[in-house]
Amino acid sequence: MRTLAFGALVVFGAFALAFPFLVNGYWLSVGVLAMFYAIVAASWALLAGYAGQFSFGHMAFVSLGAYTSGLLVKWLDIPIPLGMLAGVLMCGIVGSGIGFVCLRMRGPYLALFTVAFSEVLRIVIVSENEVTGGSGGLEVTPLFHARTDTPYYYLGLALLLGSLAIMQFLVTSRWGLFFRSIRENEDAAAASGVKVVRFRILAFAITSSFAGLAGGFYGHYIGILTPDIGSVDQMGLVVAMAVIGGTESIVAAMIGALGLEFLIEALRSYGQWRLVLFGALLLLTIRFARNGLLALAWQQVMRLGSRRRMRSIGQEAG
Amino acid sequence: MTDYLLIQALNGLVIGVIYAVIAAGLTVIFSILKIVNFAHGEVYMMGGYFAYFAISLVGIPPLPAVLVAMMLSFAMSVLIERTLLTPLYSPTTERKGDYGILITFGISIFLRALALIIYGPYPLRPPSFWPGVLVVGGLIMTWDRVFAGGAGVAMLIALVLFMNHTPWGEALNAVSQSRESAAIVGINDQRFYMLAFGLGGALAGGAGALVGPIYSLSPSMGLLPDTQAFAIVILGGMGSVAGSIIAGLMIGVSESMFVALFPDPSRSLTYAQAFSLLILMLVLLIRPTGLFGRAHVAMD
Repeated sequence: MRTLAFGALVVFGAFALAFPFLVNGYWLSVGVLAMFYAIVAASWALLAGYAGQFSFGHMAFVSLGAYTSGLLVKWLDIPIPLGMLAGVLMCGIVGSGIGFVCLRMRGPYLALFTVAFSEVLRIVIVSENEVTGGSGGLEVTPLFHARTDTPYYYLGLALLLGSLAIMQFLVTSRWGLFFRSIRENEDAAAASGVKVVRFRILAFAITSSFAGLAGGFYGHYIGILTPDIGSVDQMGLVVAMAVIGGTESIVAAMIGALGLEFLIEALRSYGQWRLVLFGALLLLTIRFARNGLLALAWQQVMRLGSRRRMRSIGQEAG
Repeated sequence: MTDYLLIQALNGLVIGVIYAVIAAGLTVIFSILKIVNFAHGEVYMMGGYFAYFAISLVGIPPLPAVLVAMMLSFAMSVLIERTLLTPLYSPTTERKGDYGILITFGISIFLRALALIIYGPYPLRPPSFWPGVLVVGGLIMTWDRVFAGGAGVAMLIALVLFMNHTPWGEALNAVSQSRESAAIVGINDQRFYMLAFGLGGALAGGAGALVGPIYSLSPSMGLLPDTQAFAIVILGGMGSVAGSIIAGLMIGVSESMFVALFPDPSRSLTYAQAFSLLILMLVLLIRPTGLFGRAHVAMD
């Protein structure tokens, strides 16, 4: 099983590296967007799936990171990486603030508060159109002056792998255990000595920073930012990606995002029906496979494998 | 200026009644099923379209169409409850609260996407209940608003009577206080989860049908009333029907006063949308049990 997983990893790795040379410009841009969504969905899975904080304001942080970087680069003329860093810091600070004020809230209250926060931010961006460009959009300086999306693709891939490595390290460390213990039972976690306050705020700060990073990347790639990036519908898309992949695993959520983004584009000819289809798929996943379709598929593979092994053992014995 | 403010206040009162109807539905669902229904605004939206198609396709007059919309919303909600919400009552479901949040959020996404397909992105406007305007002194108000306010009040009165003076209402109240004790005295709780979710949906759908001729119908029309209803439900104390009615009126009136008095008219409409959201955030921060909260329905 281990060699199989390793082999699959090598094949996927080679495919990911060669991807820009295998596809046309359209699919390459889909690939870049898929990287963006993968970072967002994975960090949301860390917040909601591991830490149990059901925030529906994650896209607001994407939007905050993107607008912070875009506006700083535009008005202060600072280098773009510095702008993106400022966006990440901004999201980390605001994220800890939200984490702090939400300490008393659990479950649906937190979800409501973050939805409200996200909509307020969107409305402010729409209304203050002298600064943000409003619904018409904000022109953002592109990161590269290349004629293809290839540099964006590799940067996106690097950001995704880097974020994934950090997040995976986090969840396999003691902190991951703390996050999960808070999710399962906050009082019991506190009684066992987990610093609940610190780790709830940390969960928000860390995941919001990743959202801000993804947002900065998105803004400087797409070139024109609209407030829609922080809308509830976009949040719904990210939730669908993470849940269909599986929120209990960072990697599963990432694969869910990559898969869904490509599927959305592949089914473009079906127009709006795609969204209904994904909505139905999301509902079925939540209802029947709460750990996501990947976990379900993995279980089936394992069961098949063990059955085959049992059969071969039986044959040897017979 | 005083006339203008008075008209604004009256308009706010009508909208407040509609908010109160939506919020009362949310409250009924919350107090029985113990979930915050993130799809409530989408049922409200569907109710508006149900009424529209009952009028334009079937030819039902506007007034009975509201009742038809309520019945269809009831049926749709019961269907949703039976197919998707039953894990909420099962002892084997882990972290039921999270399940409730995710599944209702998923339902809201699904219904919005479905509405976009079936009804299209363009706003539709159903015919008036009653064309023309009511003029009293210097005050002008369309009959549609008067009617919507009146019908909304009738729905609220019917709800309060139902909850307090019928066996089913009392059973609902009993389930809201304790599922186990209600089961012990012979109340089939499954049936009342169904009834509560259906009733909540019918109220939302009725509100949507009433609002149709005043504003227009669009697939995303449920987003804002949904958050407004949440603000009202929490301000009114989770689970208190009377509390949500009072809070609904308060928010409706203060919101339209905010629009009328906001110094920069070009931004007043967009910021009016943020108004109830800010109230929601403030209430959650300062007094999460609301003004009229009942301890036994507080959510942990």
